[in-house]
Order: sequence, then C-alpha cells, then structure tokens
Amino acid sequence: MLQVESLTKVYSPRENGGGIRNIGFQVTAGEFYTLLGPSGCGKTTTLRAVAGLEVPTAGRMTLEGRTIFDSGKGIFMPANQRRLGMVFQSYAVWPHMTVFENTAFPLRMLRGKRWSELDIRQRVMRTLETMGLASFASRSAAQLSGGQQQRLSLARALVAEPRLLLLDEPLSNLDALLREQMRSELRRLQKEVGITTVYVTHDQSEALALSDRIAVMHDGRIAQIGTPHQIYLQPDNAFVATFVGRSNLLRGRLLGRDMQDAGVRIATDLGTVLCKSLNSAAASSPGAALIRPEHVVLTAIDGSGGSEINRFRGRVSQVAFLGEATECVVQIGKVDILVRSLAGQYDGSELVDVFFPPERTLAIAVD
Amino acid sequence: MMGHAGRLDGAIIPAERGGKAYPATRRVSLAVVLLIALLCAAVIPPFVFLAYSSLHQLDPTGAFGALTFEHFSTIFRSRAFGSTLVNSVAYALGSALLALAIGAAQAWLAERTDAFLRQLLYVASIVSLGIPYVLYIVAWLLFLGKAGPLNALLLQLFGGTEPYINVYSLSGMIFIEGMLWSPLAFLLLSPVFRNSDASFEEAASICGAGLLSTLRHVTLRMARPALLALGLLVFIKASESFEVPALVGLPGSTIVLTSTIYQRLTLDMPPDIGSASAFGVLLLVIMAILLQIYNRVAAQTHRYQTVTGKGYRPRVIRLGRWRYAAGALIVAIPFIVVVVPLATILWAALLPFYEPLSVAAISKLGFGNFVQVLNSQSFRDSIANSLILGASAATVVTALAAIAGWCVARRVAGSRLLDLLATLPLVFPAIVLGLAFLELFVHGGTQIYGSLFSLVIVSVVAYIPYGLRYAQLGVIQIHPELEEAAAIAGAGHVGAFFRIALPLLVPAMISCWLFVFLLAVRAVSLMLLVVGPDSQVVAVALFDFWNNGQIGELAALGCVWTAIVTVFTVAFLIVARRYQLPIG
Repeated sequence: MLQVESLTKVYSPRENGGGIRNIGFQVTAGEFYTLLGPSGCGKTTTLRAVAGLEVPTAGRMTLEGRTIFDSGKGIFMPANQRRLGMVFQSYAVWPHMTVFENTAFPLRMLRGKRWSELDIRQRVMRTLETMGLASFASRSAAQLSGGQQQRLSLARALVAEPRLLLLDEPLSNLDALLREQMRSELRRLQKEVGITTVYVTHDQSEALALSDRIAVMHDGRIAQIGTPHQIYLQPDNAFVATFVGRSNLLRGRLLGRDMQDAGVRIATDLGTVLCKSLNSAAASSPGAALIRPEHVVLTAIDGSGGSEINRFRGRVSQVAFLGEATECVVQIGKVDILVRSLAGQYDGSELVDVFFPPERTLAIAVD
Repeated sequence: MMGHAGRLDGAIIPAERGGKAYPATRRVSLAVVLLIALLCAAVIPPFVFLAYSSLHQLDPTGAFGALTFEHFSTIFRSRAFGSTLVNSVAYALGSALLALAIGAAQAWLAERTDAFLRQLLYVASIVSLGIPYVLYIVAWLLFLGKAGPLNALLLQLFGGTEPYINVYSLSGMIFIEGMLWSPLAFLLLSPVFRNSDASFEEAASICGAGLLSTLRHVTLRMARPALLALGLLVFIKASESFEVPALVGLPGSTIVLTSTIYQRLTLDMPPDIGSASAFGVLLLVIMAILLQIYNRVAAQTHRYQTVTGKGYRPRVIRLGRWRYAAGALIVAIPFIVVVVPLATILWAALLPFYEPLSVAAISKLGFGNFVQVLNSQSFRDSIANSLILGASAATVVTALAAIAGWCVARRVAGSRLLDLLATLPLVFPAIVLGLAFLELFVHGGTQIYGSLFSLVIVSVVAYIPYGLRYAQLGVIQIHPELEEAAAIAGAGHVGAFFRIALPLLVPAMISCWLFVFLLAVRAVSLMLLVVGPDSQVVAVALFDFWNNGQIGELAALGCVWTAIVTVFTVAFLIVARRYQLPIG
C-alpha cells in the first residue's frame, strides 16, 4: 500500500527541526499504522513527507504501487495530486466556510471527474451524518467546539475516499475525557471505513490502544517496528522499553548463556539476574535487564531469604495507593525498583522480598 | 512547523511509466518574479535620481552637467550645518520624550487604574488622528502666538509689554511635535499596559512595594523595551518630519535638516536642487542607521512579551484618593491635546477675518468661510482629489501587499528580495521622497508630472512598507495548516491562496486599506513638491493657505476635512479592534 524506503530529510542549521535519516517502513492495506515517539523525533516530518507537504532530501516512496517520490529520478508528486486525507493537529478547519463547504471542498477539487451539486450534497451529508455533524451543516465552522472541529476535520479528510488517511496528533488538543471518547470513535470508524491510516502521536497509550502496528521513532530513526504487544512486551532496546510503558532497567554486563533455563545471565548492581533473551542481537550484547513494574512479584519475607534465583530482599521506601493498584518503590541496596501490585497493602519501611520471574525479565541492548 | 518550500535541487525530470512530470523543486514562481520587477521599477529610480543629482552639476535649464562633489563639500564646510544637526537632534529627542511621557501616562491611567472617565482618552486620541497635521499645527500657532489668547492672558496677569511665549522657537517646535505624536504613543502603548500580567505586580506588592515603587520597579521596567522602541519610532518620525520644521521652525529661523531641503528648493533663487539632493542623501543615510537600530530594539521587545495565557488577567489598580486627581488629569490631557486646537480652529473658521479671542469679536462670528469653501470649485476639487488619491493608493498598496505579504510570511523562494524591496522606501523621509520623484518626473520626460496619477505613484511607493507589514501580520495569524489542508484536499497553490488565504486575510486587508488611506490623505511633505495645478489635494491646500495668510479659509476647509477623515478613522479603529490587529 504505502512503501517508504530510506527516506531522509536534512534541515539546514537555520531551521531547528528534527530531520530524519534512512526511514523505511511499509503500511499494508487497511492497516492502522502509528508513528510513535517523543517530540523532535521526526515523526511529524515523516508524515508530512508522506503527505507531500515536505520535500525529502533523499529516498523513495510509493503509494498503491505508484511512485510519489524518488530523489534518484527526481520525482515529486505535489500534495494536491496524491489524493490523501489528513487531519491536522490544529484541525485546520477553515473558519470562513460553513461545515458543509469545508466538507465539500475536497470533492470540488477532485480532478478528472466533475461532480454535480446534487452528488456533492449527498456525499457530504452522508459523511457528516457518520460524524454526527449533519445538523451543523449550515453552521459556520468557527462556531464549532473543539471536539466538533475534530470530527469535521475527519469528515473532510474522508469525504473524497482518499487512498490514505494521515492523522497528525489529532487528539492532543482535546481535554482528557473527550480524548478517550474520540479515541474509541476513531478506531471504530477506521475499521468501519477500512481505510489505511498513518497516525502520528507522542502518547504511548493512544498508540497501544489504536494501532495494528507501531513504528517507534527516536532521533530521526526508527527504533522498532511491531504490533502493540511486541512493542510493549518485547522491546528491542532500552529506548523503546523506557518510552513505551514504565520499566525497571538494570544495566549490567553479559555473563553468559544459561543452558538449563535457555536464558542469559546479566551481572547487575543487584547481583546476577537471569533473563529471557528474545533475539540473537540482544543476546549477543545485552546491556541491561528489563522488567515491567506489574511483572515484579512482591512477597513477605520467608525462610529461603534471597538464595533463590532472581529473588532479592529490600525495603519499601514509598507507597502510593492508586485505587485499582498499589505502587511501591522498593529499595534494594542503592537501587530503586518500581513495583505495581494489584493486591497487598504495604507500609513504609517494611522489609519485603522482590522476585523477577525470568520469563518476564528481558535482556535488551542499550545504546 | 517547517516551511514547505522545496529544497531539492533539480529540474523537471519525467516520472516513470510515462506519467506526468512533477517539478522536484518549487522554483521562483512567475508571480514573485513579476512582483519583484514591479517593485524594482517603483523603488529603485527615486534612489538613482536623488543620488545622481546630488553628484552632478545642474545647468540653469535643469539638465545634468559634470560630476561633482561640491554639493556635499559645501554642506560640510558651511558653519550652519553644525547648528542644523544640533537642532535636528534636540528637536527629535525632545518631541520623542514629550510624546512618550504624555502617551505612557495616559496609557497607564486608562488601562491599569480605576480613574474616572478613562474612555475619554480613547475618544480624544481617535478624534485627533483625523486632524490634518497642518491644521493642528496652525491651531497651536494661533493659540500660542504673540497675539494668541495664552500670551494675552499672561500679559493681563503679570503685566509687561513683551509676549511671554515665543512659539516660533525650538521649544515651540518640540511642544507641538510632541503633542502631535502623543495620541499615537498612547494608542500603541495601551496594549503594552493592558497585556502585562498582573501577577508580576502582585508579586511586587507582596514583597512590600507600594504603588509608586511597583510602578517604577516593575511596571515601567517591564514596559521598558516597548517604551524604548516607541520612543525611537517617534524620534525617527520627528527627524524626518517636515510640517513643524516648515511652519514653526522656518519663521523663527530654527533650521533642521528637512527644512533645509525645502529652503534650498523654494526660498533660494534659483532653486538649488543639487544641494537639496545632497541633504536628502545625508538624511537617507541617517534614516537607514536609525531604522537599523530601531529594528534591533523592536526585536528585543518580544523577549519581554508578558502575556502568559493561563490565569492571565490585568489588574486594575485602586487609586483611592488619587482617583480624583487622576480624573482631573484625564480631563486635562484631551483638553490640551484636542479641545484647545479644535476650538481655536473653529474660532478662526467662524470669523471673516482672523482676530484674537475677544468678547467684541463674538458678534462677527458667522458661517461665511464655510459657505465660501463649500461653494468654491477648487476647494471641492481638492477634496475630491484627496479622496481619489487616498482610495487609489490604498487599493494598489493593499493588493500588492496581500500577495507580497503572503510570499514573505510563507517564505516562498525569492521572498527575501521581495521583503527588502518593499521595505526600502522606509528610509525616505517624505520630503526627500517627494524631491526624488520631482527629479524623476522632471527628467523622465514624461507627461505625468503634476498629474493625480503621479501622486498615486508617489504614495504607493511611500506606503508599500506599511502595507507589507499589515499583510504579513495578517498572514502570520493564519495557521499554515489551513493552507496545507487545502493542498491535501487537492487545491493547487493559486487555488489555496484565493480560496483559503485571501478570504481569511480580508479583515487585515480592510484595516490596511484604511490605514494607507489615512496616511495618504494626511501627507503634506510627500505631495508638496509634486502636486500640480490640476492635482491640488487638501493637505497641501491647507499648507498654502497658511503661507498666504488665508486663515479663515484654512480653518473652514480644515474643519470640513477633519469631519470627513474622522469617519474613516473611526471605521479603521473599529476594524482593527474587532480583529485585534495592532494599530500603526
């Protein structure tokens, strides 16, 4: 569907913006694909390059098998010929037009086929109905609330049945409650229409909840591509592990493969930690052991007293009751371990045993 | 957000599969090339002609002779040059400080205190913006003159035979010029005080600072960059001003640079164009330096922008028992700035022959001058000419500025040159630009000298920088994503500009139109040297009346004209306020 190969955009020093280097990914038809990363990582630049709003320095892009950009051959298809739909961060709803006119605009601009006013009217009203905006059709777009503007922007992006829908942090300007509503609505709509979507966000929970696949970006490069499960449970490197979800990262050095447990041993500040090693790259040069707070097992101290593998004794130093769970910081030597536990009540300064289940503890590379 | 101009170099290369070829780079578009060519044609010739005449001898027929540096060397050798320079600086500095002091006091009272009748300040400033410079100056000359009511009053109170105030002096010039600029200083400073976050001041009072020390250490300190920028602006405007130096300075032999040029051209026989041009070149250089400094200072003001957005609200300071004193000041300032000059003019307009204020004169009051002015074909022509001139100049400037401003704000290829060209005329003091165009029209061998069309050209060149700034500010307020959304929706550059950017620019453009209109109809010094018998405009007519001593006609025409212009001024301010555009 969309194929991006070694896309590079270098900015002159004057413009302070994250460039991108050698970005490559593929989006299959009907997929909800997310570019996730902190601000300045190049995700918006990538999206704008796909949109045709930014001319990349080098690389190749094809859309439905047709080249839309190729630096080698000097091909650049302008944005207005790519037949895309896009929702901007600011929504970019035109304040001098009505809701209807905003939505009708892409249809009026369609090349080749000239639409009759009646067809336009029907198509626009159908789209506005899907978005729950039909009753606002004749209203000025400037009078809409934030959530309504967002839906109008989406209606405008979808009305001409674009090849690809691009979403640039569309939820970031909404308040928390509306954001959750729009998030599920967006997902439902995308599945219903079946449109291929590229979504840009810095919000990891949005990315996990919405996407079929995620490309995590860091410093102008792609750090990992995978399904939400893969990204969260099997991060390739320390950046992905710490950016997506919260984690305990224990830096150390590789001691060797453990034949019995089919894992690797890493010497950390706590002592030796037995980890699962997911890919050979990480296994050959692991820099750290990673464990998510919810996978740490917290138990009252018993007789075995730390002799067992991956079991350490520490003292609870902070407790925060969150309602559905309790979060504690356990101090083991000089290392703080964040633990999220669903059951159990702990007081401060209590001695506890902390266990890292080896199948939940990952050996990962550190950059 | 990045600009979306292409940076990939390369010509049009055919796309694969025999498809359409797409240019891989956004080259300089035809519109930009045309605009640059047009601006070059309008802006460059005045410079060339001015510089050329300053460096050549002129024979009596007006043709250029041999190359010479004599015009410049005469200036630097003359003993009067030093005192002219000193006068110029003293005059500009004094007026800037006076305008700033009055403007800042008004702005603070109106925006930050609960003083009585604050709205009066706005009304007064707006009315005063509509009064032609010449009329305003004449009003003060009549009021403060030897036979004026103030001197008469002082003589009665303290006795003596010699008048106490000589308005035809440097201090007189400073006073009148300062008064002229104080309303604008107020209007430009009031947003500065309005937008300053009260929490800074509250923090100061928590720390134990009283009203005056808060004002001194916090409010004024934070407004300092804005005050400095505005002071510099008035300094520049005063250095290049012509009306006060000509009407107040020349009779009292207080000569500044701008009046020297006029003197060389009209009072010397034969007119010394070479020397006047050399003075013009000197003034250009001074202006260029001052504007550079101003740009630096103005750029600094953004660092102090104090609107924080969240939890922002201006605080109104309770003046307590000072409230009445402040109220008195609020009545006094507009009284001095507007009521006194207007009343003086009205008095002059109603008298068949001007005489000082007296009870005996009241019986002579009548509408004779108004009847004469309104019945005279030449007066009606000058009003029509002024309106046509203002409207055409405003329309051309607005149209050019809309396109150029968009190109500059969106940084399309070639926009830097465009920006430079459109900003260049700022270095011309009006009288110098008039002189440059006079030479251009005379030597150009064209028939347009003295026509209304020529005045339109001069005004367009003079006011394109202001138009550009307006349009640029307007475009900056339009989020680039609004145009990008149009591109995604399938619109080309032209389509996106006309369907999205232009409609959204309308309020800024209306405001730009009215602003340029007001500038163009007020201009005296710009027009003085280029008007012809068929293109007389009101502002210049008023100037001529004063020199001919026709005070009654001057006052009557002035009153009628002030009423007409005030309508446009009010319209301008309504638009500017409605769309929250900066004034000026």
